[in-house]
Amino acid sequence: MLATLVDTKSLLQSVVASLVAGIGISTAFAILIFGISRSADLARSERSALATAAGVLAALAFLVVAASIVLGIVVMTQK
Amino acid sequence: MSSDVVLVIVVATALVFDFTNGFHDTANVVATSISTHAMPPRIAVAYAALLNFVGAFISLAVAATVAKDVVDSDVITTTVVFAGLVGAIIWNLATWYFGLPSSSSHALIGGVVGAAFAASGSAAVESAGLVGKVLIPAVLAPIVAFIAGVIAINLVYGIVGRERPGLVNRGFRLGQVLSGGMLALAHGTNDAQKTMGVITLALVANGSLSSDADVPFWVVVSAASAIALGTYFGGWRIIRTMGTRIIKMDAAQGFSAQGAGAAVILASSHYGFPLSTTQVISGGVMGAGAGKQVSAVRWGVAGNIVVAWLLTLPAAAAMGAVTYGFCNLFGNVAAGPIMVCLFGLAALAVFFSRRLREEPLPAGG
Repeated sequence: MLATLVDTKSLLQSVVASLVAGIGISTAFAILIFGISRSADLARSERSALATAAGVLAALAFLVVAASIVLGIVVMTQK
Repeated sequence: MSSDVVLVIVVATALVFDFTNGFHDTANVVATSISTHAMPPRIAVAYAALLNFVGAFISLAVAATVAKDVVDSDVITTTVVFAGLVGAIIWNLATWYFGLPSSSSHALIGGVVGAAFAASGSAAVESAGLVGKVLIPAVLAPIVAFIAGVIAINLVYGIVGRERPGLVNRGFRLGQVLSGGMLALAHGTNDAQKTMGVITLALVANGSLSSDADVPFWVVVSAASAIALGTYFGGWRIIRTMGTRIIKMDAAQGFSAQGAGAAVILASSHYGFPLSTTQVISGGVMGAGAGKQVSAVRWGVAGNIVVAWLLTLPAAAAMGAVTYGFCNLFGNVAAGPIMVCLFGLAALAVFFSRRLREEPLPAGG
């Protein structure tokens, strides 16, 4: 009965996409802050290789966050 | 002539609803940013108003879906649309008065369904659309936002828990400017379009527009302006509830709540489920609070919000039906809506003149 009223496949896809995006954006932003914080600390203690690695991690996380924002705007314009 | 008078009243009422929508739902977008001091109150509200205005122009594809999917469009008259809007406005103002975040979208749907039911009986209600596109997503969306909020805040604390609190707070406050902006854009896109759809529906019902015509540009501009103005004037009562009364948030929780809310709204919109931004962000706020400490959430306040959610559709429907019945008493198409408007304006004038004397705006707000 319920299945005839609801597009179950779209609903499930919507739930999965919501969870992945909702958790993913917060995680990526937390990694961005972690990377910046560690990069600064490691650079101060003159461990430049690790500082660079943390900086790269932050840069990658920034790209994920930026891509998520662009994707969100694209989704809005395609409704 | 008489039907044109009703049309003008409907358009004006729809814009008033749009204003109350922005006024009422400002809280969804800015409350967490204000409570974590990510943005000063006036700046946050102005920012949300601007992005609501921009959001209203981003897409027009869903403008007519609200009324089309939940009621039989053949029975829609301008009086039905008017009564539905009045039902929604009354419910929005009542929940604003008690500081309860409730759904303007569901109030609009409830109002239109109630008025259509009063006009033409149960056959006028598209029950499949109502259940499949409104009720089930309405139940699922805040739960998904809650779960996303719980998981997200735990991951966030796991990642940045040992970092310097000053840097972490500054970072997440900056992030809240972005996540709040996304929410404001999504809100403008979703909610302003519902008003555009209702005005377009009234124009079609009046014969002023063909059913396959595009949404007129003046409708887009006026709906965008009304929701932006409503947002700017902001519902401070609901901002207090969302920002501080459910939980006391830190910046990471605010960001996680807004991120979870924006993700759920955008994903659901992409798959064609019209959602309440209020319900979703409330779910996100509760999730981000419960994820840190279950007892930190004031479950009594959360319970009141849930009750408001449950009551919104039937209460707005009842008010829409009563308004339609009242308009019908006058027989003449224009006399009923004119009388309702006069009563409404008089009641609002009395109410707001009392409130302005009793309750100044909060400091900084």
